[in-house]
Amino acid sequence: MILIFASRHDASSVSLAARWADHNANIFTCDDLSVAGWRHDLQLPAASLAVVGGRVVSLHEIKGIFVRWPGVFPQELTQITPADRDYVAKEMMAFLVSWLSSLTCPVINQPTPVSLLGPAWRLEQWTYAAARIGIQVRKAVRHVVFGSENIEPSLPSTTTDVTVVGDRCFGDVEQKLRELSVKLAKEAGVSLLRISFSGPDSNSFFVGADLMPKLSVEIEDAVLELLLKQEVTTA
Amino acid sequence: MNSDSVILLWGHASDSSLLAVHESLRKLDAPIAFYDQRRVLETEFQMAVETGVSGKLRVEDEEIDLERIAAAYIRPFDSRWLPQIERAGPNTPEWIHAVKIEDALISWAEIAPAFIINRPRIIASNSSKPYQAARIRELGFAIPETLVTTDQLAVKEFWGKHGSLIYKSVSATRSVVSRLKQEQLNDLQNISWCPTQFQEYIAGNDYRVHVVGEEVFACEIVCEADDYRFAFSEKDKVELRAFDLPDDVSQRCRSLAAGLGMAVAGIDLRCTPEGKWYCFEVNPVAGFAYYQESCNHHIDDAIAKLLVSHLG
Repeated sequence: MILIFASRHDASSVSLAARWADHNANIFTCDDLSVAGWRHDLQLPAASLAVVGGRVVSLHEIKGIFVRWPGVFPQELTQITPADRDYVAKEMMAFLVSWLSSLTCPVINQPTPVSLLGPAWRLEQWTYAAARIGIQVRKAVRHVVFGSENIEPSLPSTTTDVTVVGDRCFGDVEQKLRELSVKLAKEAGVSLLRISFSGPDSNSFFVGADLMPKLSVEIEDAVLELLLKQEVTTA
Repeated sequence: MNSDSVILLWGHASDSSLLAVHESLRKLDAPIAFYDQRRVLETEFQMAVETGVSGKLRVEDEEIDLERIAAAYIRPFDSRWLPQIERAGPNTPEWIHAVKIEDALISWAEIAPAFIINRPRIIASNSSKPYQAARIRELGFAIPETLVTTDQLAVKEFWGKHGSLIYKSVSATRSVVSRLKQEQLNDLQNISWCPTQFQEYIAGNDYRVHVVGEEVFACEIVCEADDYRFAFSEKDKVELRAFDLPDDVSQRCRSLAAGLGMAVAGIDLRCTPEGKWYCFEVNPVAGFAYYQESCNHHIDDAIAKLLVSHLG
């Protein structure tokens, strides 16, 4: 079974699950966390159980997890009393961070305590990391002043995008830029990352990065391949 | 580092731990830039990042050049709860400005080539208690057996195995650690709405250990309550006293803090009557003032010295 964690409103993940039906792909959302049956046992991970679509599943049935949503948000918790939604959202998020981090199957991307999609870096952090591995960058500038419009740098009107999936790189750019893109994804500790550049040549500037990129069929296939790799040995 | 390097203190000027470090730095005659977050509405922030990080933090006519900051001790509250921001309300210009200033400073603290106690991504590690507990176990401390579940039956089985359980929040939301009572066992339907954390109850004495770099300060907490932080009745009176930790436990505390990337950490330990040490939690934004006063520890001085050692 492949699990896709998604927003309850995410139609594209539903389509993806349908495309991966041969691999028994199932969507799970924050709704599934309000169902009896979850067991996250820190001592005996093998005894842990999940609940997907109302069915209790053991961990050995799960071959991989694709995360397509950064967290649990109060607005989505319509099953919870409004006054409790903020608290429950934090509890569910903390639970998912721990549970996803404890799994031995591939999880794309590995969560961090601040985001289920990975490191949730701000533009300055991406820019700093990109510059330090040799990608050309424009200064990331932030200016916050009360009572006036904050000055944001203007972005190029068109960008060239590269999507990294594990060691593979999709996008029509020069080889050097592909290599640097894979390096940046590794620096961020993620398996799936879209990076936007000002153009396709190796001297193009870094523009931005996205941990939840739109997926083409070839990128979906690459993600699936990565998910179906052998279980990793570390928890 | 520039010869005119400074140490940044960022937080609320009523925070006793922050004030204690400020006083210790002052005694050392260290160059201090104190950013009191209560002045957020008068604050302007500029940052430019490429291979380096530059910019300015300005509060009215006081200005701090970001490149001069060699070390920082950061203990900010959530700016949205400052009285003037709460009064203004969500999505007002004041609220938006406070959030933007906080976000910009956090971004700076993540990448600044300065010594930071502790970086925001390190602070985030205890936003999930079971996640942090798993890291604590990897770093050599025993943790109580832990189950997070939406399943009543699982709790009953866990109770059967351990006889006595406590429950507490999964996230960093502060909650009273409470003992699960026998009569509650048949009234756990509500846990199906949200995963709830249960742990085996560990009998023993509590200790709060502060690690500051290589220095270790241990405090024994004598209290009958399940959670001494919320012990308000006379019978649950809390007594704090300085304690000499066994060397191997001190060393494990140092390794734990270092392994979690914390230059300063507040570690909650319990020692069983059989002498086994358990770690419950590690606080990356440790409020130490409450403990040091009773134990005559000088945690503030140790933090100040650690900060000064990075002035270059």
